[in-house]
Amino acid sequence: MAQTAQSLNHARPPEAGHSVKRHTGLMDWITTVDHKKIAILYLWAGGLFFGIGGLEAILIRIQLIKPMNTFLDAQTFNELITMHGTTMIFLGVMPVIFALMNAVIPLQIGARDVAFPFLNALGFWTFLFGGLLLNLSWIMGGAPDAGWTSYTPLSTSTYSATHGVDFYTIGLQIAGLGTLIGGINFLATIITMRAPGMSYMRMPMFAWTTFITSAIILFAFPAITVGLVLLTFDRILGANFFEVGAGGNPVLWQHIFWIFGHPEVYILILPAFGIISEVIPTFARKRLFGYSSMVFATILIAFLGFMVWAHHMFTTGLGPVANALFSVSTMLIAVPTGIKIFNWLFTMWGGQVRFTTPNLFAVGFIPTFTMGGVTGVMLASAPADFQFHDTYFVVAHFHYVIVGGLVLGLFAGLHYWWPKMFGRMLDEGLGKWTFWTFIIGFHMTFFVQHFLGLMGMQRRVFTYLPNQQFDLLNLISTIGAGLMGVGMLFFLTNIFLTSRKPADAADDPWEDGRTLEWTIPSPPPEYNFKQTPLVRGIDAFWKEKTAGHKGMTPSEPVGSIHMPSATILPFLMSVGIFIAGLGFMFSRDTFSSDALSFLFNNYIVTGLGLLITFGSMLMRSLFDDHGWHIEPEELEGR
Amino acid sequence: MVTEQHPQEGSVKHRHRQEGPQRHIVVFIFSVVLTLIAFAAVAAGGVNASFAVILLLVMAVLQVFLQMGFWMHLKDKGHLMPIIFMLGGFFIAGTCIVMALYWVWWD
Repeated sequence: MAQTAQSLNHARPPEAGHSVKRHTGLMDWITTVDHKKIAILYLWAGGLFFGIGGLEAILIRIQLIKPMNTFLDAQTFNELITMHGTTMIFLGVMPVIFALMNAVIPLQIGARDVAFPFLNALGFWTFLFGGLLLNLSWIMGGAPDAGWTSYTPLSTSTYSATHGVDFYTIGLQIAGLGTLIGGINFLATIITMRAPGMSYMRMPMFAWTTFITSAIILFAFPAITVGLVLLTFDRILGANFFEVGAGGNPVLWQHIFWIFGHPEVYILILPAFGIISEVIPTFARKRLFGYSSMVFATILIAFLGFMVWAHHMFTTGLGPVANALFSVSTMLIAVPTGIKIFNWLFTMWGGQVRFTTPNLFAVGFIPTFTMGGVTGVMLASAPADFQFHDTYFVVAHFHYVIVGGLVLGLFAGLHYWWPKMFGRMLDEGLGKWTFWTFIIGFHMTFFVQHFLGLMGMQRRVFTYLPNQQFDLLNLISTIGAGLMGVGMLFFLTNIFLTSRKPADAADDPWEDGRTLEWTIPSPPPEYNFKQTPLVRGIDAFWKEKTAGHKGMTPSEPVGSIHMPSATILPFLMSVGIFIAGLGFMFSRDTFSSDALSFLFNNYIVTGLGLLITFGSMLMRSLFDDHGWHIEPEELEGR
Repeated sequence: MVTEQHPQEGSVKHRHRQEGPQRHIVVFIFSVVLTLIAFAAVAAGGVNASFAVILLLVMAVLQVFLQMGFWMHLKDKGHLMPIIFMLGGFFIAGTCIVMALYWVWWD
């Protein structure tokens, strides 16, 4: 084998050697196409927006701490609830999901990068600039205030005359591009780049859920793209898709939004299911119970997820037949979800369970998410939903599944893979403080909201009258929100203190790693695997461990590794779309300065932005980029 | 020597024996015939209008199958994923169309 590798080196012509321009500092981050660095970019950007969304939540809870509070006015409150929901879902948790996918998926399937490293960078930068555009609304004339669902006719220009909703439509459109690109990239990566021997049914569960999640993204995001285009046309170009007076139909928006929106909640929760399915077996030292039923349940949830959107619309008057059908299809989803819950329980059963921080979050996830699932089945019953609709019961439900489900899952994943991403173990003591403050604060905040809802407190109201039995429960809820904030502060402290320690995490820092990412150094070298590993079963690394081997059997000799070149084009393309979006949004405005009016009203700003984007695309098309190679001498440290 | 070092590439090339152009020519002629039938049905003028519509739709569906199967290689091995994802896409798009017709347009 060594001889083959050597003769391969000699066969390579000298000009194919690696003369690659290495960027440093900020330029390195802007031009990187390395999935591990893009993961870190996603994490910091997602973390930033998560922090903004969290502060908005704290402000909302302070306003609701007592009846008739005057901390915020109604308009600011509406802007805060809209931006809290939109920011958290599109700009907070989804990028952190993408961070973990980017950091882990290529390593788990034994690949050296994603299928399209250039697109990966483009996906990140379009997401970031979309998010920035949306949040610019705070300082450019008011944030969107029509709720995160932006229902028409409230969100049409008749009732939302400021640019708030334009920031929503254009910002989400740009950020959505990034998500769609990311989803397609992971589909191609998982279909084509699995290591030899890794059949679909040998993939780790997180790879499976990423695969299914990406498929849902591929099918669901076009719906919101179309919806946002229609709303943008209505608002900026004077179309009438949702204007009743001109023959439009406002309920169409609700349908389009929820055809996207319901699959979106499975886009959020399935990766969490995957993370939990990795963490629990690792710390129970047992293989995942019912692997194939887990795969089947994931696919079934994804399929059913497209068949239930109208359960958000029971009160719009679809009629009893439609309501009954969507009730039943919604309740059906409890079956595959229940399969998953029982599989996790049976995985722990009889295992040697270690309660490390990631496992605490994973174990905390199970009952918390189950409670959210149960209220979900309650809401699925159409007659009952007429009572629950638009009350705090709904707020409690979706925070139980998103925070109690997804965010706990993300915490589990971040603590679990942190050493792999950064080469440093997060502190276990602070991690446990994070867990206990966060989960106690979470249940304090949202458990009482079930009862607030049942007693008749409506969601999205900026204040309420005293002596309706709402006072005490709202106070408890606000204290809980503060406690969740304390939990976040523990987590940030943990990150800060850890970053000052030496990066000395072992390859397999939890010592019971089961999958391929634990076979390589922490953090991995830029080419991930010196030799692509040969996969002999589910939990490839664990299988080798039980066979008494120290590492994986390579499936190829050491050879030169082809690497993609760093490029600034994805960044420039996203800057272009950002400028074009801003220009388009203000194209009908009159400015105090004639020059500004001229630039915007004649679409010159929009055109300039598009010129940057299409110019970058042209550059990408005209100049071939063959990448570069890392030679075996370098790999061996010679 | 060099070919021995790349056993995978070599075997892939051998397995994917190039099909001759005959089948593609046959499919192309068949496509043209289908188009001519559709054209003739309208141009001749004697065909009942509702029958013509159905005929056109049938010809169109046949064309789609020919295009997908032969020119886009969906009939070949190793195209299961594209087929699954295209069916998925048709399914979701169909759902949206039914929604728009049944709940928004006719309602």
